[in-house]
Amino acid sequence: MTFRRTEHHRSRRVLATLLFLVAPAAAAEPDGFSASELERIASHGPWPTEWLRDAGNRVSANPAAIHLGQRLFFEPRLSANGRVACATCHDPARGFQDGRTTARGLVDGTRNTPGLLNVRHQRWFGWDGGHDNLWSASLRPILDRGEMSGSAARTATLLRGSATLACQYRKAFGKAPAATDPELLVNVAKAIAAWQETLVSPPTPFDRFRDALERKDLAAAALYPAAAQRGLKIFLGRGQCSTCHAGPLFTNGEFGDIGVPFFIKPTGVDPGRQGGVKRLLASPYNLLGTHNDDATRRNATGTQYLRPEHRNFGEFKVPTLRNLTLTAPYMHNGTLATLRDVVRHYSELDEDRLHADGERILKPLNLSEAESADLVAFLESLSPDAAPPAPAKPPAVAACR
Amino acid sequence: MNPGSQPIKSRRWRYGDFLRRALFLTALGAITGAANAACPPATTDGTTITRGEITLAWRPLQVDAFLKSGRIPMARHFALEVQLCDKNGVSTAQLVKADASMPAHKHGMNYRPTIKPLGNGRFRVDGMMFHMAGQWQLAFEVQAGKEITRLTHDVQAD
Ligand code: HEC
Ligand code: HEC
Repeated sequence: MTFRRTEHHRSRRVLATLLFLVAPAAAAEPDGFSASELERIASHGPWPTEWLRDAGNRVSANPAAIHLGQRLFFEPRLSANGRVACATCHDPARGFQDGRTTARGLVDGTRNTPGLLNVRHQRWFGWDGGHDNLWSASLRPILDRGEMSGSAARTATLLRGSATLACQYRKAFGKAPAATDPELLVNVAKAIAAWQETLVSPPTPFDRFRDALERKDLAAAALYPAAAQRGLKIFLGRGQCSTCHAGPLFTNGEFGDIGVPFFIKPTGVDPGRQGGVKRLLASPYNLLGTHNDDATRRNATGTQYLRPEHRNFGEFKVPTLRNLTLTAPYMHNGTLATLRDVVRHYSELDEDRLHADGERILKPLNLSEAESADLVAFLESLSPDAAPPAPAKPPAVAACR
Repeated sequence: MNPGSQPIKSRRWRYGDFLRRALFLTALGAITGAANAACPPATTDGTTITRGEITLAWRPLQVDAFLKSGRIPMARHFALEVQLCDKNGVSTAQLVKADASMPAHKHGMNYRPTIKPLGNGRFRVDGMMFHMAGQWQLAFEVQAGKEITRLTHDVQAD
């Protein structure tokens, strides 16, 4: 918290001044960054950020499981009609999202498909945080009637029908896949989770700017476009965006209500986090249950101490802001088509739509055209500037061809 | 320790029991407090707040493998260690509530912390999280007999 500063302070202020003296050409008169802004900027990195294998998933980082998980992620035969795979909705070419307003599996869904890059860093999964771990969030779609409507029997048949898959399953879990094994689907979900843990997006123009500031390499920092720098200033300051979109992932991992309507046509309503908490606590696959491989249950802190509140109704997960250029449309119901639309939403915020006890941070920003463009430029700089590389090849597994 | 948690047979019994315990605990507190100098709190016990008779020291404990410094981590779970002291040394009062809120945003934490007595006026609070940057207020309630003292402390999370 605020203890550390003083020494850093001075050098950063000097840096802030220097930055714009040295680079007047690239930075068309943007204001300098204050010491506290520079500290905030630093807190959005470094990237990639540290990660430890998931103690709740005994095949986390296991090569055989990663191989198996990759194969199953693209496998439509897990679904009842043999046509829907995870990748149907989570398309690698689109940041593992589908570009649709709301998802379409066996039937049409009511929520936008989230991208899966960097998903390993999340605390809660799903827009309502109905899952507290990656493998249970991966099990849900297999069984969900509207998405894949699969079963243990179907999955076991699939695994047994392929020598390679059966071999990888045996290597990962130490036994043959059996439909009668109550752990079969959980294991399969843990393998798919192990593969998803390898999906990490590359550093972005923002990351290079942030690292350059840390290194005090002003020439490199000046390569970051002036519009993005001005947008960053709004993001940290007037917009108060980083209050919720904090840290290297640009999310605090928690929930908020920013006035996106939660009505579902024609008459339904999406209760958001309130429903998520109910779902989570009722699930046999949460971290308090027997399928959690972390005997200490230290990974279950969030679920154990969860405090349901009235305000959870209509709250949705604060999404990461990395890779936005790959994952349009936006929001839990996919109603905002472009980043322009998102910025307009925050700029013209309808305060009547916010909960009476909603976040008092949110005020209509009334941004000018130029300011809106700057904020969009900043948001775009949180995505890789080159085409994202294909997912890394899983490490080799001897003896399973 | 907590007289209120005993099965109650009669009012008089309860009162007598309470007095006996209070005397015992005061004596014990005086002895242990003097013996291991838990009170007054040392700088390593963290930030000190005083209200009336009670002096409370709190410090954040990191429960997350990623976090190294003594700072309260942003949007991650942390724990607190709390030491209660009074003019006699280690206080026999109980920490009955520990919580935090953001007064400006009119909301609290998304988690409900638990309190575990560690003995010698020390308590561990688990399940804390400051999920947003900004001004947070830590609030403690300390009970001595029937009297509850509320102590607060403002913390800037960033
Ligand atoms: C029909 C489209 C569809 C299919 C098929 C599908 N998903 Fe999803 N996925 C979604 C939607 C929509 C959500 C958001 C759900 C919610 O908010 O409850 C989601 C959420 C997730 C999440 C949580 C991500 C986050 O950021 O919170 C994970 C992980 C995930 N899916 C993995 C998978 C895996 C693994 C499979 C295959 C076993 C799969 N999905 C199949 C549409 C789909
Ligand atoms: C109070 C917390 C909070 C603040 C402050 C906040 N956001 Fe958000 N943001 C959210 C939540 C919650 C959502 C998802 C809402 C939903 O889907 O209903 C979101 C969604 C978004 C999205 C869509 C991402 C996606 O993948 O769908 C973008 C972009 C975004 N915010 C940018 C910003 C910007 C820019 C600011 C500052 C002007 C800002 N946010 C301020 C909480 C916040």
